[in-house]
Formats: sequence, structure tokens, C-alpha cells
Amino acid sequence: MLRMPKFELERPASLAEALELLADASVESLIVAGGTDLLPNLKHELFTPARVVSLERLGELRGMRELEGGWLAIGSMTRLDEVAGDARLAARAPALAQACSLVAGPQLRTMGTLGGNVLLDTRCQWYNQTYFWRAALGFCLKKDGSVCHVVEGGAKCVAAASNDSAPALMTLGAELVFVRAGGRRVVPIADLWLADGAMNKKLESGEILTEIRLPPRGAGHRGAYGKLRERGSIDFPLLGVAARLELDAQGAITEADLVLGALAARPVRVRRVAEELAGLRASSNDLDAALGRVAQLAYKQCHPLPNVPGDHEWRREMVPVYVRRTLDAALARQGPVRDA
Amino acid sequence: MRVLHLKVNGDDLEVAAPDHWTLLEVLRYRLGLTGSKQGCDKGDCGACTVLLEGKPVLACMTLAGNAQGRAITTIEGLMPAHIARGGSGPDPIQAAFDRCGALQCGFCQPGMILSARALLDRNQAPTRAQIREALSGNLCRCTGYTQIFEAVELAVAESLGVAPAPRAWEAPLAESRAARGES
Amino acid sequence: MAARDPHGVGAPWGAFHVVGKPNRKVDGLAKATGTAVYADDIALPGMLHAKTLRSPHAHARILSIDASQALALPGVHAVISGRDLPIKYGVIPWTQDENALALDKVRFIGDPVAAVAAIDEDTANAALKLIRVEYERLHAYLDPREALERHDPAIHEGHKTGNISKHVELAFGDVDAELAAAQLVVEGDYSFHGTTHAPIEPHCAVAQVGADGLLTLWSSTQITHYVQRALSRVLELPAQRIRVVQPCLGGAFGGKSDPFSLEFTVSKLAMLTGRPVKMLWTREEVFYAHRGRHPMQMHYKTGVSREGRISAVDAKILIDGGSYSSFGLVTTYYAGQLLTGPYDFKSYRFDSTRVFTNKPPCGPKRGHGSVQPRFAFEVQLDEIAEQLALDPIELRRRNFQGSHVRTVNGQRVTSNGFLQCLDEVSRASRWSERRGKLGRGRGLGVAGSMYISGTNYPVYPNPMPQAGIQIALERSGRCTVFTGGNDIGQGSNSMVAYVVAEELGLALDQVRVVAADTDLCPVDLGAYSSRVTFMVGNAAIDAARKLRAQLVEALALEWKIEPGRVHLAEGRASDSGDPARSISSAEAIQIAEARFDTLGSTGSYNTPQLGGDYRGGTIGASPAYSFTAHVAEVEVDEQTGRIRVERVWIAHDCGRALNPMIVAGQMEGSAYMGVAEALLEHHTLNRFGLHAGPNLLDYRIPTSVDTPELAALIVESLDPEGPYGAKEAGEGPLHPSLPAIANAVFDACGIRLRELPFTPGKVLAALRARKAAAPQEAR
Repeated sequence: MLRMPKFELERPASLAEALELLADASVESLIVAGGTDLLPNLKHELFTPARVVSLERLGELRGMRELEGGWLAIGSMTRLDEVAGDARLAARAPALAQACSLVAGPQLRTMGTLGGNVLLDTRCQWYNQTYFWRAALGFCLKKDGSVCHVVEGGAKCVAAASNDSAPALMTLGAELVFVRAGGRRVVPIADLWLADGAMNKKLESGEILTEIRLPPRGAGHRGAYGKLRERGSIDFPLLGVAARLELDAQGAITEADLVLGALAARPVRVRRVAEELAGLRASSNDLDAALGRVAQLAYKQCHPLPNVPGDHEWRREMVPVYVRRTLDAALARQGPVRDA
Repeated sequence: MRVLHLKVNGDDLEVAAPDHWTLLEVLRYRLGLTGSKQGCDKGDCGACTVLLEGKPVLACMTLAGNAQGRAITTIEGLMPAHIARGGSGPDPIQAAFDRCGALQCGFCQPGMILSARALLDRNQAPTRAQIREALSGNLCRCTGYTQIFEAVELAVAESLGVAPAPRAWEAPLAESRAARGES
Repeated sequence: MAARDPHGVGAPWGAFHVVGKPNRKVDGLAKATGTAVYADDIALPGMLHAKTLRSPHAHARILSIDASQALALPGVHAVISGRDLPIKYGVIPWTQDENALALDKVRFIGDPVAAVAAIDEDTANAALKLIRVEYERLHAYLDPREALERHDPAIHEGHKTGNISKHVELAFGDVDAELAAAQLVVEGDYSFHGTTHAPIEPHCAVAQVGADGLLTLWSSTQITHYVQRALSRVLELPAQRIRVVQPCLGGAFGGKSDPFSLEFTVSKLAMLTGRPVKMLWTREEVFYAHRGRHPMQMHYKTGVSREGRISAVDAKILIDGGSYSSFGLVTTYYAGQLLTGPYDFKSYRFDSTRVFTNKPPCGPKRGHGSVQPRFAFEVQLDEIAEQLALDPIELRRRNFQGSHVRTVNGQRVTSNGFLQCLDEVSRASRWSERRGKLGRGRGLGVAGSMYISGTNYPVYPNPMPQAGIQIALERSGRCTVFTGGNDIGQGSNSMVAYVVAEELGLALDQVRVVAADTDLCPVDLGAYSSRVTFMVGNAAIDAARKLRAQLVEALALEWKIEPGRVHLAEGRASDSGDPARSISSAEAIQIAEARFDTLGSTGSYNTPQLGGDYRGGTIGASPAYSFTAHVAEVEVDEQTGRIRVERVWIAHDCGRALNPMIVAGQMEGSAYMGVAEALLEHHTLNRFGLHAGPNLLDYRIPTSVDTPELAALIVESLDPEGPYGAKEAGEGPLHPSLPAIANAVFDACGIRLRELPFTPGKVLAALRARKAAAPQEAR
């Protein structure tokens, strides 16, 4: 069996205890939430921590609560299947619920957490491999090596942000609450990312993501998620599309947002979407053409590389198709979009 | 190495294992519960599926230490639990898999059966689409899944007291046998 | 009774009581409850764990190996390399080119180089990292065309034909003249990309050497007998000092047919350390061991008359064999030899060449050698039907070869239910009402095929039986059947139990089966070539009839009646002339045991002399052939290029279904695997020669939501020589899946897919090409 490197497991019973353990800079530590991303990465020797701090016992990080001002806080240890199946979220954040319903397979959704999915390591066909495999190629830019095999001569890692939840949370304007010993910060999720596959998140040492907060949304909120993958289960996305539309009482679009995942090191927000769609009604004759223009905007903006397995040229061709289908689904209050 | 306190198939057990061991390794190589299988090393196949508090999880992706304090059900636990509830023999879902031919090599099936058990525990009458979805984290390489679906549907039909749907081959085969004078 | 005598297709006791019914399998409940023991479930006291060091280079010379640091690591008990196991082996006696651990050279990334036995896997892994190997890198061949053209450096030095592993050219009839005379000739290139078996159980072996020197190996093999022979050769031990046991096996599909590195290394390490040694491969190592379906580049040219009668087929095939021979000699023949049914060819020629490349070695995968050519030919038939404006099913009917005929390449075909197969899929799919009428993006496609039920030529030539059975029957009513046959999940142990229960009139729960243990069981050649039901089934009938004769004689004497009045069925012995006279089979056995002493019998099977009278004429010669037809229904999303197979109707002539439920399971599993090879699976190497994704996440096998609805339709042609008329069901039904989907895609949207797999990108490209060509067609 492929084995993990040796480490010491800590299972703190409280957040304070966990933060204290992580504050100890003398021991190289990693956090494990659901473990569905970390454990394969450990087995691949992508990480060799001396200590693994499990958040499993921190019940305070699990579940949802309403905040003042209509915000909703989702504990970072809330399981993906709980997010996917939550009735409240189905109404006020359908894109998120849909995205979480399509992560991996059923078992991994009962194990994986929302916080873990947000903080998922980037993925690449030259990186998510065993030590033997990576050593045979002299390793790669992201781990242990100095060359990129995706872009020959490339100086920057292009591993892909492969979390399904991130594009959805981007469209929803989510904020992330990070806590560390003696400190706390709240980060809009759009500000979390770096365009570097080697480390695509601005994280501070010793901090724990405790909550994902969603701003209030009105009755005109529409959202959907589309996921391109080869199989109908288990697979990471080859492309993720999250769409958000806000309609006024007359059914006219007031806001629109579109974020794509799995293409580059960070989720990609499609530019000028709101400009194209604002003011149009679902019944408008102009809507169809405008949606088509949005799909083309997305196509022009996206140039996926052969970072994750699969045909990258096909992935690019699918951008406008999935954008259009996801927008259509959002307007029709349907989704998720999947054809496998 | 630490002593783990695990609740496995209703028993409270103490077992020593290194911190970097998964639940699968502890079940198989410390407790001798080899019914949970290892197929892919890293969460891709579902052969190691066990129930944690009734929900299917992958034992190969669960740190053994983190399984403490939660009720673990392995394939070995189903029949004793069924008997303890007053039944006899294997759990009805196990019997249905056997009766439907769903067990070819059998290697994926402990995990598959536990996923099916969890499905039936939360949904007494799933549709075929729901069965497909619930089992979509358990890869089977032998059956093409058809007899697995039929097994779950047989268990459902018997629990509801209705007849299961006939299989594609039954009527044409019976007809051609009758035509040549065989029953 | 001689081993080659057919036993007849009828029931031994009037009507069938066990055979032909959807009985449970003998091992089903053990598997369902987790008590069945697979190789990695075995733990022996004091057992060491072994790991393999593998080559990071696709082609290199080994200059030196320094294991001193590894040996010094606490917990390490032994380190071995190629020098410790220098004798070559290989499943085909004429092409033995493998070493358990590389000797002097490595030939693909993942080739085994050294092995460590240590107290646990972590220690063994740590030791691997301490072994220093110095390599001199050599040019690596990744393109089969390059390997065809040059052989410096040679992948196997000293190989007589350079980098050509095997070349076969055979011609039957005057192909050139027939092509010249044909009213239509269709010609095209087709390709198959390479796939692997991916059984869910990774390979695992455990070895133990007793104080008396007796070696026992438990291994996840599908051919116990060949492993025993290979161990004997490489370890230089007499075969009778080696016991090979196949525990419960977690899937194989041909991927566990070769003797493998781990079997030799654990045995050697056990001999060196005096401790039991286990090796469990990681999933990645299973991908490197491979032996999957060969990539093939195929050119077919078919001549037909205006009515669609096939007059000539001319094939040229380039086969990428990977780094070792494995079964490659057979593959190269099968690629041509197995195409000559269910259709009658007036003339036929094939030229197939297998080359070595620096890739994981290819070998036999379900439908060995013939799935790829069958794809090419059945698509070409569809093209012919299109050009002749004939219904594709009608075209196939017109070329049906018939029953009890000889093929153009001299093979004897007995029962042939192919027409009924076409009838079944046509009826079930409502072909004539629906084909061509499902609207844009939806379509139906048909394909047919033929496969062997074992071959008359054992892998090593010998005149002994190909299958043997022993039966012990004792006074409690318990009957134990000993078979060397390997149950790999296909249900062969159950099949043996059904046959013996039927013959001896026992209830199924009276019969135990002990299988695949070379110390306990008579020799059987193993689970490959779809030989088990036909050969082991016949051997079981042979053995059981000898015992049955004793039971009947004893009861006739006891009851003082004619033997013809004794009736054995369902656990009872009775007098058909006196309904009041009926005893349990246990009592009947006691009467026989008293008269004849301890009861037991042996039986065997050997094929009749078969095959064409030419070099290679026996390869592909089978005592019976199975036939299959599929209709696939697809939906093509013209925006995404994705093909969704909604349903496959599978009609298969298995002779007689000894258990229709198990037969249906084989048919469904075969079709599933074919669909997967058509759409999803791709054994891909990257530009470095390294497997692009050697794991079950990146090598995508279908989940339950990706698998179409599968409808199995069983056709029983009652073969005169099969056990009660049975033929194979485990491999044939895979073949038509791939071309049926390609042909359905043509019906759906008018594009011809000739290159596997049918990825969405290729579909979109083909749709664009069709659109670009469309205005011209309109003119």
C-alpha cells in the first residue's frame, strides 16, 4: 500500500488548543480537516510534516449560523454533503450547494469539508504523482524541482485551482474568517488568491480558517454551477463555472457575475459580464444574444494549459458552452450543469 | 505509537498503531478485519468504504486516530447486527447481492454493500438513478453494475413486499427454452 | 471414456435440476460478508514485507547497484537484484525474455531493479531510497514505427529480428484477384490506443519456505500452473517442491496471466531469510506491470459484391508490444486468426507485426488480440453497408458463415447462433422502426463478433489433459471436487459445483469445491482464452459420470432392479419404477461406499485435433466458438462532443447458459468494459515514456453513473462438444461494444470514428470536418 510519511497526530479539543499547537513554530505542522486532499498529498510525499493537527474534534467549526445584517456563517468543518443538502443554501446560495454536490464522490463528500475545499492545494498532472514518479522526471517547479513540464522553460507554476466551491463563493462575495493565536482577519475570498500555482493563496502561518460568510441575498438571487469532467463522479473539475445573477422585482438583471475554476492557478472572474447583462429581462429578446456575447467573452479570456489531465484544447472549447448552460440554468432556477 | 480507542461493530477496542496509519490499515493489519479492501491507495476506488456513524467514508483516507469516538461499521459487522436485531443469516442487502450474481470477484463489494446499506437506511425506496448516484464512489470492474443495481432493487422490493422487476434475459431465454421443449 | 469424447447436450436425469438455473454462487456469501480470503488478507507469523525498486529510465544499462546502505538499515533483512534471479522466464516458452529483477538493462520506466525485505513496509520503502543504482541511459523507443525501422540500440540485445517482436503473414485464397474483381472495395485506417485491466485488487504474493525446503506461494494469479512452472525454472527447484495457491482473486481480466516479478522476488526473499515474505503492489506498480491491450494501427481493405457478399479481406496491422514478449506471439496471430467468423470470407490475408518499445509490456486483456481488429472490421462493414445502401444487420446476415463449417483459415466452427443474436438485438432495440429515425444526435449501431472457447494448443506443448478433475464422495453426503481451474470471479468454482451436483443428483449445498492449489488439485491450465467452462466443465462431467455409474450400479444391485430405473436428483436417490422407494443421497453413497470402498474419481478433458494445416494454424483453433451481436444506442451532444451511450443490447451465443445469471453478468461486465475502452480509458504515456497517470483517478474507469443500461440476451445454440452444450461467455461479449458505438455515432450524426478512444475533442473535430464538407455534398 502507498504509505504516508511518519508524523505525529494532534487532536486538539478546542480551537484555542489548536491555535496554540500551530503557534509553535519549532515544529513543522500541517492542518488536516476532512483529509481528502491532504492524505493523498501525504502519500505522494508532497508534504512531509512533523506534526499534523486535526480539526476533527472542533465541533464549534461545524454547522451554520445566521449573523447580524442577514449574513450566514458556515463553519469551515461543515461537511460538503451537509452544504450540498442544506435547504437554506439551496435558496440563498444555489451555486455553492450545487458545487459542493458535485465534489468527488459520495464518500469524499461526507468526509471533505467546505474549509478544506476552499483551501485545496492546486493540482497538476506533473505534481499529483508519487515520489517515484516525480523523481523519474527530476521533479517539477511546484515541488522539489526547478522546471515546469507544462510550459517548457516556464518560470511560474501553472497548477490549477481545482476546488469546486471557490468559484461559487467568489460569485457570492463570500468572506473568510481566519483565526490565529492572538489574532483574527476577515478576507474577501476574491482577495485570497495569488496567480501562482506553487502557492495560490495568501495564508499566514499558524492560522485556521474558521468560517465562510455569505452576504445576504434577495429574492431575485439566482445562481448555478456547472462542472466539466470526464466521469459523472469522483473526478476533479476540468472546468468549473459559477454564475450569479440578481433580478429586480420586474425580472430585470441588476447584477451578474461569472467565475471559472480549474483553468489557471486561481479562479478566474470573467470581465464585463454585468455590463453585457444588466437591465435585460429573462423574457427579453436581447437576452439570448447577450448571453452568447458573455460566453464569447469568457472564451476569449481563458486559455487553459495542459496542467490537469485531459485535452486542454477541448477544455477551452467547453468554456463558452458551459458558461452559456450555467447562465441558462441560473435563470431557470435549475442546475447543476453536468453532462457526465 | 499510541493506543487508540475504537468502537468497531459495536465493540469498544483498544489497539496500538502509529499516528500515520489510516483506519484501513488498523482494521486490516491490527484488528484482522480484512473485509475492508484496499484497491487504489488513495481514495479513488471506494473498496475500503466503511460506515462512520452510519455514513459511508473511505477508511484509506481516514486517519485512524480521527476515527476514535465514532461508531465504525465494517462489512463484518452487518450480519451480527442483523442477527442481534432478530434476523437470521446475513443482512438482507448481503443476501440480495449474493442472489443477484452481483459478487463476481467480490473485491469491491464489501465497500459497495456498505454504501448500499447506508442508502437504504436513509431511503427505503430509491430509484435506479438514486442507486446509481449513491454507489458512484465505489468502482466495480466486473459487473458493469447491472446486477448490483438489481441486488439493491431486490432488497427494496422484498422490504416493500413487491415483486422485483424481471431481468432482461429472463423472458427471451424462457421462451427459447420452451420452444425447444426444455423448461 | 476418453478425455475427448463429447458428453452430449442433454440433462443426465431427464430434466435439468441445477444446470441452467440462476443458482447462487458457491462463494457469494463469503464475499458478501467479508470472510473470503484474498492474497493481502493473509498474514503469517514473522512475516516480512517486501518492496521493489524500479527503473526511473525508459531504456538504460545498469552499470552498478550498491545496496550496502539499505542492508545496513535496521529492520532490513535482505536486498536482492537481478544477479540473484538471473534465469529468464516468460509465459510462452519460445520468447522467454523477462527477469524478475532487471539484469544489466532496464526497458521501461517502472521495470523492477531490486527488492527489499524488511520488518514492515515503511522500513522497506526507506531502504529502497538508500539503494544506489548507476545507469547509462540509452535511446528510448516510444513510437512503434521507429522501433520497426531501426534497432540500434536493440531493446533486447541478441533478438534475431531486431526490435520486431513477432511478424506473421498468412494468406488464404487469392486476395489480390478477388479485390480486383470486387464490385466495391472499401479501405481505411483504424487505430486502437491501449488500455489496461485495472482489476480492483492490486497484485499481491506471499511466500513461505518450510524447514523441509518446501516453498508455498499464495499469489493473485489467474494461472497457478504456469506460475509453478516458472518458479521451478527460475528458482531451480523441482516443481513438486513448490506449492502455488491462488486465494480468492479480486479481478484479473488477463492482467494476472503472466508470471510476475513479485512472485519470484517474495519466493527468493523467503528462501534467503527463512521468513514468510509478502509483497503487495501499489496501484502505480500495477499500471507498470500492465500487460494490457495492445495499441494497434490497422489498415483494412475489404472487397464485396454488389449484394454485399465479402470476397476479400486484406489487413495490415502494426502492434505496439511494449518492452517484453509476454503473450505477444499469440497476440500477433490472434490479431489475424480470430477475424474469420461469423462471416464467410472467400479470401483473407493478414500481415501483423508486433514491435518492442520502451513502454510497460502489453499482454492479454479480455478478448486478447481480437478486440482491436474486430473494431476496425465491424466499422468497415458499416461503411460498406452505407455505400451499398444496405441495412447493416442485413449485410451481416448475408455474410453469415453458418453452423458446422470450416473458416477460410481452416478453423472448424461447430454451433453458431449468430443469426439468432442478430434477431435478438434487432427485436429488443426495435431496430427497423428506430434506426435512422431517432432524430438529430441520436442513433443506433450494430456490430458482431466471434471468440474462442479455449484453444487446442496449450502454452507449452504436451499430450496430457488440459483440464483435470478429482471428486471425493463420502458417507455424510458431502462431495468435494478438486479442480486446478482458477476462479477469478467469473464463477468457475460454481460452474464445477453445478455440473457435479447435476450429474450425481446432489443438492448444491452438498458440494464443496477446492480449487487452484497445486498441492491439492489436478493440473488445469488456468483462466485464460475463455477455456474454463468448456474444458473444466467437460472434465467435471467426465469425472462425475464415473462416480455416477458406481452409485447407479450399487443401488441397482441393492434394490435388485435394472440400472435404468435408478434416478438421482436433488439430493435423493429413487426408483423410477417404484415411487415409494426413495432415499437420501447420503444413504445412497453409503450403499455405494460399502460395495466399492472409498468413493472417488478423476476426469479430464483434451481438445480434439484442430486447426489449419500450416505454421500457426493451431493458434486460434478452438473446440467451439461463441458469437455475439450488440446494438448500441447513443446520444451525441454536438456542442460538447460528448457521446452518451444510453443502452447496449447484448445478444450472446454461449451454447448453453449453465447459470444464466452468471452468463448475464459476464455479458454485462464485458459490454461495460468495451464501452469504457471506446469512450474513457486511455493507457497514456507522456513524452518521457512515463505513464501519464498511473492511478485510478487519472485512468478513468466508469462509475455507476457512467455505465449505460445493459440488456443481456442469452442465445443457446447447444454446442455438440461443450458441457451440456455450453461455450464461453466471458470475453466474446466485449468485442462488439466498440464498433457498435462507432456505428451508432454515424447513425446519430453522420461522422465516422475510426480512431479510439472517441474523445469529445475528436468528435467535435469530426463534426467540424463534416460541416466543412457538407456544402460540397449538397452540390
